[in-house]
Amino acid sequence: MKLLRNSALLLATNLAPAACQQAECSNPDYGNPDCRVLAENELARLGTPGGVELRFQPPGADLTGSWIAGGHFRQIAPDRVRARVAGPGSFAISIEAGGPGSAPIVIELANVDPAAIVSVGPPGAELELPAPTSGATVRDIAIDFADGPVVWIRGRRPCPSRFSLAFTADIQTNPGQFARIAERLREESRAAAATDAPLVGLVIAGDLAEAARDDEYEAVAEILQGLPIPTAVTAGNHDIFRPLHPQFNRNFGPGNYTFDVCDAHVAMLDSGSGAIARSVMARLPEFLDRGDARYLLAVMHHPPHPGTTGAGWSREDMAQILLAELALNRADLIVAGHNHALHDFPGIRIGDVGLHEVIVGTAGALQGTGTPRYGYLRVTFGDGVSACFVEVPPAGYDRAANKPLRTLDYCDD
Amino acid sequence: MGGVSIAVAVALTSIGAQARPARAKVVVGGTSTPPPRAARKAQPVPAGCPRLRALCCSGDEACVRPGPARALLLSLGALAGAGAAGILFGLGDRLTNADAATLLVGGGALAGAGALLGIVAGRALPDSSALPERVRRETIGVDIRGSGTSVADERKPPMMSLRAAPTWWFADGRSRLRWLLEIGGWAGTAQDTDPRPQAAPSRAGATTRPVTLEQRRLAMGMAFDLAVALPYPVLRRSARLGRVELRWRPEFQYRREWLDLHGVSRIVERTMLLPLSVGLRWHVSPRQRFTFYVGPRFDVVSFARPDGRGIARGRPNVAPLYGEAWYDIDFAFTEHPRRDHRPRRAMVVGMLSLGYVHSRFDGRGFNFGPVIGFLGPVHMEWTTRIRPVGSRTAFQAAVGAVVGNGLAVTGTLGVSLPDLHSKGRR
Repeated sequence: MKLLRNSALLLATNLAPAACQQAECSNPDYGNPDCRVLAENELARLGTPGGVELRFQPPGADLTGSWIAGGHFRQIAPDRVRARVAGPGSFAISIEAGGPGSAPIVIELANVDPAAIVSVGPPGAELELPAPTSGATVRDIAIDFADGPVVWIRGRRPCPSRFSLAFTADIQTNPGQFARIAERLREESRAAAATDAPLVGLVIAGDLAEAARDDEYEAVAEILQGLPIPTAVTAGNHDIFRPLHPQFNRNFGPGNYTFDVCDAHVAMLDSGSGAIARSVMARLPEFLDRGDARYLLAVMHHPPHPGTTGAGWSREDMAQILLAELALNRADLIVAGHNHALHDFPGIRIGDVGLHEVIVGTAGALQGTGTPRYGYLRVTFGDGVSACFVEVPPAGYDRAANKPLRTLDYCDD
Repeated sequence: MGGVSIAVAVALTSIGAQARPARAKVVVGGTSTPPPRAARKAQPVPAGCPRLRALCCSGDEACVRPGPARALLLSLGALAGAGAAGILFGLGDRLTNADAATLLVGGGALAGAGALLGIVAGRALPDSSALPERVRRETIGVDIRGSGTSVADERKPPMMSLRAAPTWWFADGRSRLRWLLEIGGWAGTAQDTDPRPQAAPSRAGATTRPVTLEQRRLAMGMAFDLAVALPYPVLRRSARLGRVELRWRPEFQYRREWLDLHGVSRIVERTMLLPLSVGLRWHVSPRQRFTFYVGPRFDVVSFARPDGRGIARGRPNVAPLYGEAWYDIDFAFTEHPRRDHRPRRAMVVGMLSLGYVHSRFDGRGFNFGPVIGFLGPVHMEWTTRIRPVGSRTAFQAAVGAVVGNGLAVTGTLGVSLPDLHSKGRR
């Protein structure tokens, strides 16, 4: 009886609603991944002093009632808003005037492929804007509400059947080396633009900073702004461990989102806390629904299959549930960082599906003694998915300083 | 002695423990008459073991020097932890198999912390001879562990499990096989809400946000724990540093998860295979032990096909190394005669355990600062065992905490029945 009574007491304290309960993140702790979900969604809409409401929307949306964490807004002047799109590919932004006579505003649209077609106008009557000639990923768009109270900005990137994406992770204390990688990416982008397989984006799987400070993020953002391709980033453990402010989200926007570029559907998951948010786990079928895309990729900081690298999830139960969901959706590739090295796991057997994971924590973070292996993974999509590594050695080396992995080659060029 | 008789009881001998000292027990028959002061003074009480001198505890068959033994453990723990951390920082994450180093960091830290705790306990309660009976895993018990939640509309049910651990002794009296069984699961359905501001409440009466994740868990585990005591001393130099046992514990852990992901049903099976976990127990003092296990781990992840065509079975994938490290300290509550010289009705012993488990299989990992995703949880537990005089059954209760991704409170109730084939146990 005593056993039953004690068990019932413990159950009651766990199951019964308590007076001290409160809504998630009423007292925000941004070390909690669900609080970052709240933050990234709040930052994906903005009300200006003039009463204009801006919202990131699903690319195919027509209604302005809701929004998604597809980027983030920042008011940089009373009549000027910076809108950073979260990743490459299609996007949409709704802009709703506060009332008759709303003052015009200028949208500084950032992180958009120079080759993207951007159209602006009232719903259903958007007009294409001329492409920028500078090759920059930022363009200004003036909105005057002359044709109605609601204006949409939509973007899409036309693609050939072959294209490539670059992946890396873990910049941390070494933005200087990351700048060298960015320089190599600029060269590759220029060369690829002349071929039938353009480089359409860079994906960074977390740890952009060492201590999640604004000055560190500003240095990285400056480097990224110099790239001729858009970037997609998510948070790592070094980006989230100062829990008072969502510094990562304020600087780069969401950590949990998807983007569709060319024929690839990429799910970005914020695993900075060693786990994804439970609310994101609930939405995994939605995140991993590739729709019409031919390829499905998942990117996160902590590798869900760490092997014996010692750098896994703090919640291995969630990692294994994610692996099962990735296997169910026949994911083509998983890319992660966290481990400051290059590792290739080509045959992770989950259910009756073989998954392929690459750890590419090679964007500059400390690798200890020995010659570091810095660089990025180039993934080419065409007749299937093929991956190779581009080593960008540190200053002092004039060529690749390490050897390829047994199962992952270096790129030929 | 006028109505007072002295009975001498020789206690059972446990594995690895020394032959028990003869203990005097005062039995009061008839009326209770306090003995004269001189007789009281002459009553035998356990002698303390000098920590730094190579002297035996009275009646123990083997001598132990707890002081040097703990100092050695502290040094080894510090060396392992600091050395492994140094390797990680020095060589960086480029080590393909760096998990061994993270295991050493956690295990070394536990060894060091345990040795320090042991030094404090050894000073506060002078080291003494082994207890005639100490806390062990209960033969049958119920375990509950959980942390609850303070988030409105969410539920985080505790894990409840039924545990069994029958033990069979080999003919040599020093080796045994313990069969460890666990079956249980979450005592209810876990619920999580969607914190996105654009998520509208989905049901009438919802106070905050819609529930978008529901999860239930079934948990089962089984292991065979084989312990073989080494001869003591195994080497000349090992004399007086305490006994050692070797262990082998093949184990599997199985979890079945039922998930409702925003209306989409999923079943995922997770299995952790630990076929080659080997370990060592070091009796640092007659009442203090350091134990560790280490071995390769293989994970199998399977899932139910959405079309209902059964489970798609996975194959074993190489997973992070598995390891455990524990430091146990025994406490005696009924060692001394009662002040009123009445007979004791029960023998009561306690055990304080400090542990580190290098596995995050159940979602608990110890994180600090940016060190996230490397270490397993830290365990602390206090167990009390009560054996009524003359009873073959002892009762155990434990409370504890698991630190890792928050704090979970643990509680165990159980009974300890006689071991199988334990007559020849030494």
